[in-house]
Amino acid sequence: MKELDPLLHSQLRLAVMSILMNVDEADFVFLKEKTEATAGNLSVQLDKLSNAGYIAMEKGFVGKKTRTVCQVTGQGRKAFEEYVEALKEYLNL
Amino acid sequence: MEEKRINERESIEIITSMIARTKKRYSLGDGNIMLMWGYLTLCISALVWTLLALTHNQAVNWLWSLILVIGGIATPVMAKKEAISKGVKTYTDKIISRLWTVVGFGAVACTLVCLVLTLFWGIDGWSAMFVFALIIVPFAEIANGIVLNESSCIWGGMLGLSAGIVLTCCIAGKVVLAASWVMPLFIVAFICMMIIPGHVVNYKAKKNL
Repeated sequence: MKELDPLLHSQLRLAVMSILMNVDEADFVFLKEKTEATAGNLSVQLDKLSNAGYIAMEKGFVGKKTRTVCQVTGQGRKAFEEYVEALKEYLNL
Repeated sequence: MEEKRINERESIEIITSMIARTKKRYSLGDGNIMLMWGYLTLCISALVWTLLALTHNQAVNWLWSLILVIGGIATPVMAKKEAISKGVKTYTDKIISRLWTVVGFGAVACTLVCLVLTLFWGIDGWSAMFVFALIIVPFAEIANGIVLNESSCIWGGMLGLSAGIVLTCCIAGKVVLAASWVMPLFIVAFICMMIIPGHVVNYKAKKNL
């Protein structure tokens, strides 16, 4: 049996990746609202996903406020698909 | 939600729950760009029609270019504002945005060709703009409706396309395009294609349908 990717096998990171797999791009506020996570925790998990190359983050400004937009990368998409395949094996689906 | 280890069943639950949360059909203001184009076209058409009737001066037809100028400037501004307020861009948004960008480029290209024909050869090809507005735009509107699964866009586009077919046949048959029937046809087509679907989409967004 394949091992589940430890980077994705975490509640918040998996939630973020599930959202980003379903949309073209999403900003920090949207992800925070949908995952109901705290800003600090979400920020840390986004950095981990970004450092692993699973998501791309683009920081910009809207007026004086910063706006971080996240998008899943090809590597992230592949990792997520492999994770789902491994999950199916574990759950005999 | 926190950063905690989960079991396999919880993983599946998270994935399905997050997919469900991002599957919102409409957001408030999704129909605003359609409404802007609809009302802008309605106002300019009514203005040109009135001025033509009052002055009989063909130069007022230059006012048509205001539709492209105002709409072309307002659309990206409104789209950016909408994207920021939604916080998310779905694949559907991307398809629709690219579809209308192509239509926009087509409109600019058609305008330039007509302008060059008029300025350099004195050929009046401006009726092609009516054909563009009532053939290409309705096609894009129908495609928009199919992608969004929004029947008001599909039916509105079909009515606009019907008007376009009538107009194209009249041009091919060298029927004189009199303002008395072309302008009402054009205005009604845009009410059906842009204004009604725009209000329907905003209503559905408000009611969360």
